[in-house]
Amino acid sequence: MKLNTGMTVNRISDDVWEIPTTEKSDMLVPARIYASRTLLQTMDEGVFDQVTNVACLPGIRRYALCMPDGHWGYGFPIGGVAAFDVRDGVISPGGVGYDVNCGMRLIRTDLTLADVQPKLERLMTELFRKVPAGVGAAGSVKLSRGDLDAVMVQGARWCVERGYGWHRDLDRIEEGGRISGADPSVVSDQAVTRGIGQLGTLGSGNHYLEVQVASNDRIFDPSTATALGVTGQDQIVVMVHCGSRGFGHQVASDYLKVFGKAMRRHGISVKDPQLACAPFQSTEGQEYFAAMNCAANTAFANRQVITHHVRQAFALVFGRSSEELGMELVYDVAHNIAKVERYAEGELLVHRKGATRAFGPGSMELPPVFRTTGQPVICGGSMETGSYLLVGTDRAVAETFGSTMHGSGRTMSRAQAKKQVRGEQLQQQMRQRGILVKAVSMSGLAEEAGVAYKNISEVVESVEGAGITKKVAELRPIGNIKG
Amino acid sequence: MSSSFRFLEDIALADIAFEAEGDSLEALFQGATQALLEIMADPMTVAACWQQRSVKKDAAADELLIEWLSEIVYWKDAASVVFREAPLTLSRTGDRWTLEAVLIGAPVDPAAQTLRNDVKGVTRHLYRLEQEGPVWKVRVVVDV
Repeated sequence: MKLNTGMTVNRISDDVWEIPTTEKSDMLVPARIYASRTLLQTMDEGVFDQVTNVACLPGIRRYALCMPDGHWGYGFPIGGVAAFDVRDGVISPGGVGYDVNCGMRLIRTDLTLADVQPKLERLMTELFRKVPAGVGAAGSVKLSRGDLDAVMVQGARWCVERGYGWHRDLDRIEEGGRISGADPSVVSDQAVTRGIGQLGTLGSGNHYLEVQVASNDRIFDPSTATALGVTGQDQIVVMVHCGSRGFGHQVASDYLKVFGKAMRRHGISVKDPQLACAPFQSTEGQEYFAAMNCAANTAFANRQVITHHVRQAFALVFGRSSEELGMELVYDVAHNIAKVERYAEGELLVHRKGATRAFGPGSMELPPVFRTTGQPVICGGSMETGSYLLVGTDRAVAETFGSTMHGSGRTMSRAQAKKQVRGEQLQQQMRQRGILVKAVSMSGLAEEAGVAYKNISEVVESVEGAGITKKVAELRPIGNIKG
Repeated sequence: MSSSFRFLEDIALADIAFEAEGDSLEALFQGATQALLEIMADPMTVAACWQQRSVKKDAAADELLIEWLSEIVYWKDAASVVFREAPLTLSRTGDRWTLEAVLIGAPVDPAAQTLRNDVKGVTRHLYRLEQEGPVWKVRVVVDV
């Protein structure tokens, strides 16, 4: 089998591959890649190099993992998962990413395609107006420093207590939309000033707000779909993909700098400077964790404010309240984060970098509503194809530290995509195919063309084949907002 | 003094990489700065009604450059602006480099400006600043 690496890669199963510790000096554990044979063969060289570098980090347990949407990242591959003993392991901002708690949210409605199609143009215009997107976009929620400190600690709860959403939304957000251990005192003034004006904004790049259709022929598990509020019958749902904006980005930048110096003090050397890390129990490690949790909570709050504006837009266009429209939250989940979780080895710090938590039905950490279905997993495809709603499994908990894929993964660079695709032309073509796109940047739109992404269905089949996630529904786009 | 930059197609799939060159270190800094400005918006569509002075010092030129580029990204969000230009000078006193620059731009206005990518951070991934003969070069990957 021809792979983009000279390392030995052994087959464990059709969807699981292992690089033994003999393949790189200082590997403490093997590396495991979850992927079909086809996806493995298309993975770039960086994935193999980076996942084996991660396997060298102090305190790592079991395996360094990469999911089937994996591609070259900074330090960790995108799609990377690694768990470290909380006592003697490290924490690495590279294992979280610049966009702390970049994540996905899915909102259901009682509307159907027949309801929305005649008003789609107006709906997308209203959504584009209400949800700021693109470079340097400012949000409509004006925060004082004290407010932002409260958001850092309270996350989505701060928002619902001020009328941005419903209290019951919190039951449908990972960690109730608020991760404990956040400490604003370890966040820089720069992060505060960079992020204070951006609450409720979408960002750009691969971030989006998408109106989608759940059709009967694309519901794979009807009983689970119904339990999660996705009833098919050409039901309209809304998916949001964004993160902690400038605030989280600055937290990441600040601590990458801190850790670069800290490593020398702690006698840690890494194979890639972007794997800068510190002992989790060190001052630097604990401060980054507390700052990261501030950023994570801000991201939950960001998606909560966006949800409020989405509900407002729908209410305006359809002339009924969002409650009457049944606009309940299905779930909100992070795919760039580090969390303390308990496994057979004890308490571990699990880094997910472009990977989603996927706890199964047996997990007591889940709210009761998900203990029969498993935790919802929301994975975005390209804006031209589809996205998926899945659920986690107990096998994910057993094998991958409760983790799975997060999206399609790219196959070509942004520069290459812009050479092949013109944004205006793509927008027209998508309109002809029934997908209305409103974008702040046409060059940004071209960069996000479907041709630049892996086939998400193939990635989904791979995680299902490995038993770590089960598909529930495929969601087809009809409208997209991009920054 | 002359500088140039080009975008690299084969690395950093999800983000943007560029290589800048200059016939002096100062020219290199100017080229890298211009590349970053162009990533975020078309400078020719940005007015010159906002500005911010910056003075930065470091013993290491490569550290100074990454700090300066990171500051540009900071101001993009902190002031909600994009940039037209950023004239700068680079001087050396003793063992320290001093960068003096003025960021010039305007508040973000999608109707008037050609906006491009929202840069999250300037990474150290494959970051390298070096001199090859008379030419200074740097490779930078930014997270978008």
